Amino acid sequence: MPNSLSRHPRLAALALVTPALAMVALFFLLPLLASVVGAFETPEGPGLANFSKAFALYSRDMLFTLAIIGGATLLTGLGAVAIAGYLTLGECPLAVAALRWLYRWPLFIPFIVVGQIARSFLAKNGLMNNALIGAGLLDPLSATGMLDWRGLILAFAWKQIPFVALLVAGAMASLDRGGIEAARNLGASRPRILWEILLPQVAPSLLTALILSFVTMMSVLSVPLMVASQSPTLLTVDIAFRINAYRDYGLANALGMISLAISATVAWFYLRHSLREKR
Amino acid sequence: MKKTLLSLLCLGLFASAAPAAELTVLTAGDQNMVDYVNDYLGPLFEKQNPGTKVRVVGTGPGDAGSQKILERFEAQAKASTAKWDTDVAVVHEKFAGPMVEAAYLASYRGKIASGKLVTRTNAQMALGTKVDGYVMPMFNSQTAIAYNPALIKTPPKSYDEIVAFAQKHPKQFGYNGIKGGASGVSFVMGWIYAYGEGSAEKLMNGPFEPAETQKWGKALKALKAFNANVTLTPGNAGTLDMLARGEIAMGPVWVDMFLSWQRNGQLPPSLKLVLPAPGMPGQPMHYVIPAKSANVALAEKFVALATSPEVQAEGIVKRFNWYPGIDAQHVQKALDKATWDKLFIDVPPADLARYGKPFPIAPYNNAILEAYEREVLN
Repeated sequence: MPNSLSRHPRLAALALVTPALAMVALFFLLPLLASVVGAFETPEGPGLANFSKAFALYSRDMLFTLAIIGGATLLTGLGAVAIAGYLTLGECPLAVAALRWLYRWPLFIPFIVVGQIARSFLAKNGLMNNALIGAGLLDPLSATGMLDWRGLILAFAWKQIPFVALLVAGAMASLDRGGIEAARNLGASRPRILWEILLPQVAPSLLTALILSFVTMMSVLSVPLMVASQSPTLLTVDIAFRINAYRDYGLANALGMISLAISATVAWFYLRHSLREKR
Repeated sequence: MKKTLLSLLCLGLFASAAPAAELTVLTAGDQNMVDYVNDYLGPLFEKQNPGTKVRVVGTGPGDAGSQKILERFEAQAKASTAKWDTDVAVVHEKFAGPMVEAAYLASYRGKIASGKLVTRTNAQMALGTKVDGYVMPMFNSQTAIAYNPALIKTPPKSYDEIVAFAQKHPKQFGYNGIKGGASGVSFVMGWIYAYGEGSAEKLMNGPFEPAETQKWGKALKALKAFNANVTLTPGNAGTLDMLARGEIAMGPVWVDMFLSWQRNGQLPPSLKLVLPAPGMPGQPMHYVIPAKSANVALAEKFVALATSPEVQAEGIVKRFNWYPGIDAQHVQKALDKATWDKLFIDVPPADLARYGKPFPIAPYNNAILEAYEREVLN
């Protein structure tokens, strides 16, 4: 005898999806809602005071965050395309194998360690400058540290390039090699093949990977704390500072909302893009 | 068979509750705070009280660590939990006041022997809130200016001399602003003590008057100009890193961190400390006992041991380079001269007494930080 669930397939579907939905509602939507409500809570009752203060104190940091994460995303894209391109088009099997083995390492390194590496590598008398000075390529007096916006961009890109390269290289590997061979037979150089044949075909994967990277970097606190927590700095540092120094959850929530709005704009592109793909 | 299994299970249940008591200690601060209890204080207490087990949980460095402890208490109070999961907590000075005001803590100092050995005012008032009886200072830490004597023959004796130095040697003075740890915050508070047009005494002791917060404009403007001549470092450790690598010649540091790094070979032994006039703030870390601890008597015994002259001498001063929490003269008796001298070699006790200041009371503290964000960072 068929039971009631099999008689009502929609009910069965609902029952199946309920645990997952409840999970999302409980652990994602509820905290998000609490944070949104918290952003409008002020000692004088609900209002926009937190937002006006956030813009008054941290508008520079908001622009800085956009510029740094945007710059790091761009650099990540360039680095990842270069790596994935060489993995696909490289002609020296040994170099390709070495690169394939090496490039994924940063994937397994936590952001906080990346911050620490950047700090000892990019400092004025750090590993990089010392090596350059030792090799006679840099005058000791003109050495400068890069523990500022440059350090942030480099540290972020270093960490995110493997992730994007992994996805893009995968997409490139699944392409039909016929096109590449045809272009090569017609005398196209490798950079040209990469730019005109490979990239347009893997653009959707590249875009998706870059958007995911952007959103990940938006949420990192350890790297800016360790590399450049001075002014201007990233919004994550300001959020932590509002909570730790002032116990001011209202303004921290408001800053969280603003950073959410930045991420959401990028996520919107992602959604629009993936919807278009599905059609 | 079933019965045997059941009785075995029951036995197991009761057996696991058998050890006399487990004392849970939450501590804010760096890993060294956890190490201190795990490697030294915990085993000592367990030896003196057979059957007890000390369990320590670190909640993270800086104010954030104390904030987590406060929130844990808050959650248990709101849930009306009868017995809390914490027996002893070590918190920053800034959080002792709010905990006392919320009635989370037990008043216990009068009940333990070492309670009489503390007369310093920071065990009575914590940034403007009366905490007398509720706290025992674990140690006092102090900020000072670390400098490289190879580059600086005459160290700055005052904030004025620091300003003059920074002007003459751009980027050779470094500090970590206000978002990268408390040594930078301390330098800024000292700046306001020195150049604010209000009364520094009022900032330290209260009462809070909003009009007072309008008197820092000139000082902050000068600080913004000063910042153009200095290197901003990433964090407390960042300042020490840069000193060690010779990238800056001078900067504010925590004395205990400085001495520990020096002892571990992370800093050149030649670096020295100076405490400039009119002074820089320091702060104690406090032992507190939640009123609803499940083991109040044992917790009191633990804090009594931790603040006894012998433990303060061996653990706090000798092993961790902190200034003692209880009055120094009681600790001095239990220490050899060499260790004592090492702690006070650069900053003699007289300078410490004169220039070691408390942080401003909480509302001024927040107002100064926010004014810095508004005036100096924007």
